[in-house]
Amino acid sequence: MRLRELLPRGYSFTVVGIAVGVAGLVSLGAMAERITRFIEGGDRFVLGQISVAGEGMGMGTGFTAGGLLSAAKIGDIAAVPGVSGVQAQVMLPLSTSTSHFLTLTQELIMGMDVSVPIPNRHYRELPVAEGRPLRQEDRHATVLGADFAASRHLTAGSSVVLGGQDFSVVGILDKTFTAPDRFALVAIEDARDLWLRRDPLLVQVFGAGTLRRGDLNTGAAVGWRDGEDPDALARRIQATVSGLNVTIPGELSRLLRQSTAFFSALLLGIGALGLLIGGLSLANTVTAAVFERIRDFGIKRALGATDLDLLGEVLGEGLRVSLWGGAAGVLLAWSIGTAVDARVLRDGAQIFLFSRRLLVFALVFSLALGTLAAAYATLRIARLSPAEAIRRGS
Amino acid sequence: MTRPLLRAVGLTKTFVGPGGAPVPVLRDIHLEVGSAEFVAVTGSSGSGKTTLLNLLGLLEPVDAGEIWLGEERVSHLGRRAQARVRGASIGYVFQSFLLLSGLTALDNVVLAARYVGRDRAAAQKEALNLLERMGVAHRRDHYPAQLSGGEQQRVAYCRAVLNRPPLVLADEPTGNLDDEHARVILAELRASTEERGAAVVLVTHRPETQVLADRVLRLHAGRLDPGPAVSPA
Repeated sequence: MRLRELLPRGYSFTVVGIAVGVAGLVSLGAMAERITRFIEGGDRFVLGQISVAGEGMGMGTGFTAGGLLSAAKIGDIAAVPGVSGVQAQVMLPLSTSTSHFLTLTQELIMGMDVSVPIPNRHYRELPVAEGRPLRQEDRHATVLGADFAASRHLTAGSSVVLGGQDFSVVGILDKTFTAPDRFALVAIEDARDLWLRRDPLLVQVFGAGTLRRGDLNTGAAVGWRDGEDPDALARRIQATVSGLNVTIPGELSRLLRQSTAFFSALLLGIGALGLLIGGLSLANTVTAAVFERIRDFGIKRALGATDLDLLGEVLGEGLRVSLWGGAAGVLLAWSIGTAVDARVLRDGAQIFLFSRRLLVFALVFSLALGTLAAAYATLRIARLSPAEAIRRGS
Repeated sequence: MTRPLLRAVGLTKTFVGPGGAPVPVLRDIHLEVGSAEFVAVTGSSGSGKTTLLNLLGLLEPVDAGEIWLGEERVSHLGRRAQARVRGASIGYVFQSFLLLSGLTALDNVVLAARYVGRDRAAAQKEALNLLERMGVAHRRDHYPAQLSGGEQQRVAYCRAVLNRPPLVLADEPTGNLDDEHARVILAELRASTEERGAAVVLVTHRPETQVLADRVLRLHAGRLDPGPAVSPA
């Protein structure tokens, strides 16, 4: 097939018009996708484990925020029927001098007891894109979240300063589009050292001999056995082991959804706006392009074309033009989004997510709407006599 | 005249003017044109010449009256059947050429074959012969905007006769042409009556055109009068 047949002559501006509309749709959709993935990721995480902290508040950060969780308490939790594993954790804000606390861009140091498998049912292991995962014997080694590493141009083999200590980067995680993207994972012993260096009060308590190193945990992730109801198990832990802050996964998920209701409404609005802008632009462009050819239709009908002939031709052209415009729009949005993200990623942020489902939807949407708009315009024109069509188009 | 190929009986057409007022354009037109006959229709501007041609060519619906093509009452056929008649039996040559700007000269000609189900390769070969005959074969790959007015009209003529229609309708086909190019088109129209027996109805202002016609009819105030007698060319 000749190139001229792939893109019918005289449709360049139509393709540009469609491309602009689709680019708007894809860009807004990519922003909505980014927010959706973040919220879904968070929801998936909290539904995959029971997070436990010591009673009280203020010792840690992130989703294990609460009081100190001693080794004895961790042992008690592990003994509760239905518990499959407990992983002690120390979560610290990377920077205590900024007001990032509990914001979406907060960067965290997460100390993990690597000797225990990750109990989270949805994150059995954190996938490593580069280098290797953290090992039990690692000291002063870290595996970084994708955004954490990208914002500092770090790769496996680099070194990074965490809490005033040098760490070698042994791995970079795959992008998860949620919290771990901004984590620096370290061995729990290293995290305890950083915590002690950072918190003078804790040093005094620890120095008085009332605490052992194993008691220095900001929380723990608890897993459940197959067939166990996580919410029921969380309540059982709460009832069995005193002095704990236990999150109920179902309740936390509900709270998370409530707290992100604004974002959900926002992304719904963004999506609707994208559909409206992109759809109107596309439909208007295609309809205008068909109406511009009203004279051609009159001539073709004078040459013997039936309504069905014209409809078939226009649908074929509409499909091809919409496909070109849709593809160009996707490419345009992707180029702009990638360029913008490359810039903002330096600050550990990402604005767009061009997911496969979004791109497929945008193409199908542009094809369907373009074809419908072309068919509508053709049927309007088909009602005219050939002479009238020629008169109006001349 | 032999048995009429084209017969119009009591044709009437009224358009809607400003404010919805009816504007009668054609009233009770009766016309017969035989095979191999060349009929010229004259009249002042606004007399309804183009409307008459549009009705005869099934490009516009009649308000009243009938049009017969051979034994078939074509004015009352359905849309699909009328499309078939237009494609197979009627060739049009318009004053403003009406070529499709997105197609080359050759593709414009071959387009006429598409809607009557002809084999494209055969149609293309015949189209090239026609373009050759009309002296524009060297312009086969040019788009209309790249052609002169005379060349465009010759291409338009090739398109009109590609399917060898028994009836050719020409609406001021020389109106935008210089004398030399006008002569070429008129000679071809005349030849189509003589060589293959087509009936030609030509709307024109040019006196020399009327000389070529077998009959000249005058359209005045929406009615058709026999014009002055002329000798066949």
